[in-house]
Amino acid sequence: MRLRSLPLMLTVLLATWPAAARTTRIDDSATLPYASSLAVQWEQPSPRRPVNNLMSGTLTLRVRLNVTPWLHRSGRIYLTLPAQQPGPMSVSWATQGKLLPGQLTSGSRVLVYSGPITAPFIEDVLELTLRVDGTRLRQQQYHVNFNFEMDE
Amino acid sequence: MFPRRRDPQRRLGGTAFHKLRWLLTAGLLGAALLGSATAPRAFEVTIAPASPQTIYLQVGVGTFTGTYCSNPCNSYPPIPPNTPTAPNGTPGNNATVNTVSVSVPAAQVGNGTVQTMTTNSTQSESFYDDYAFCNAPAQLYIGGFYRTTTTGNGSINVTATVPAALTDTAGDKLSFGTISWTSSGNADTGTEPFPGATFTPGAVQTIGAIAQNQWAESCWTFSYANTTVVAAGTYTGTVLYTATTP
Repeated sequence: MRLRSLPLMLTVLLATWPAAARTTRIDDSATLPYASSLAVQWEQPSPRRPVNNLMSGTLTLRVRLNVTPWLHRSGRIYLTLPAQQPGPMSVSWATQGKLLPGQLTSGSRVLVYSGPITAPFIEDVLELTLRVDGTRLRQQQYHVNFNFEMDE
Repeated sequence: MFPRRRDPQRRLGGTAFHKLRWLLTAGLLGAALLGSATAPRAFEVTIAPASPQTIYLQVGVGTFTGTYCSNPCNSYPPIPPNTPTAPNGTPGNNATVNTVSVSVPAAQVGNGTVQTMTTNSTQSESFYDDYAFCNAPAQLYIGGFYRTTTTGNGSINVTATVPAALTDTAGDKLSFGTISWTSSGNADTGTEPFPGATFTPGAVQTIGAIAQNQWAESCWTFSYANTTVVAAGTYTGTVLYTATTP
């Protein structure tokens, strides 16, 4: 009796256990410019009180996400900014409507799309502003990498 | 950039067949790797500081454009808190050479009674926060900043290039070593970045320092030692203040 009910219990447990979200990095190699340069400037050229040591810059990106693998399904797309050199950064962006505007700090991700995938590509133009502590910029330049991720 | 590595496959084999087989194997392996790749590329932004270094030094009157506004800002129209442009301001170039002077009464010349000097500078407010930091004309403002992207406790020195003596039209001399100053600032505490001292005649003298990404300022009150009997006249001399970045 006990042995026969065990498989049934397992089946019930498995059925009620929430499916873990599967995260996959999206191919955005068609984004233009794919590798861009951004000259960041002191937000406060003179360290007047209260001193702000942030440097920032804005660039425009034509994002093109290849979502073919998720065509005719639903998903949530996140923009991620992995923790990396030169240290803590924050990014904010405006869009033209296909993706959600938002902001995030390095080491985190933010939802930019949720819904059905009806076309092989999702495209939008992002006005992206990056802010970083200027006192951490010891090198002439840093390569900052972003990712788009799909949660199913 | 990754460091160059020694190629472990330098020797492929002695025959063309072996080379071909290796290439085929490499090709298949490459195809397999491509097929199993799960991390597509992601866009990259290369950031670089546009103007990493800025220096500003002001002795006496100075020029700053852009209204100072504290945070939160009380100006009208209101500027939202944490707006990147507030508080802002751009340092300008001001070619004014201010004077510090004293007229010693004839009866007191050389009697050792210290003579307090005054300045023709009208600058009492600090551009740091528009606070009346100094008391002109009794005090001369000196301040500035050093903007840089590098971290650490770096600072730059401010020097004074001091002539050997003040002179009058007759060629009489009065040593610059007879002039001293004390340093303070309204509501200021702690050590002054530009402390009190006495001019070193005929030398380049370090008179203070500015820590990176900070505003340094002091108010100087000058005095003449009045220990020497000199010929009547107007004695003048110019001291040049210099801040230099590494």
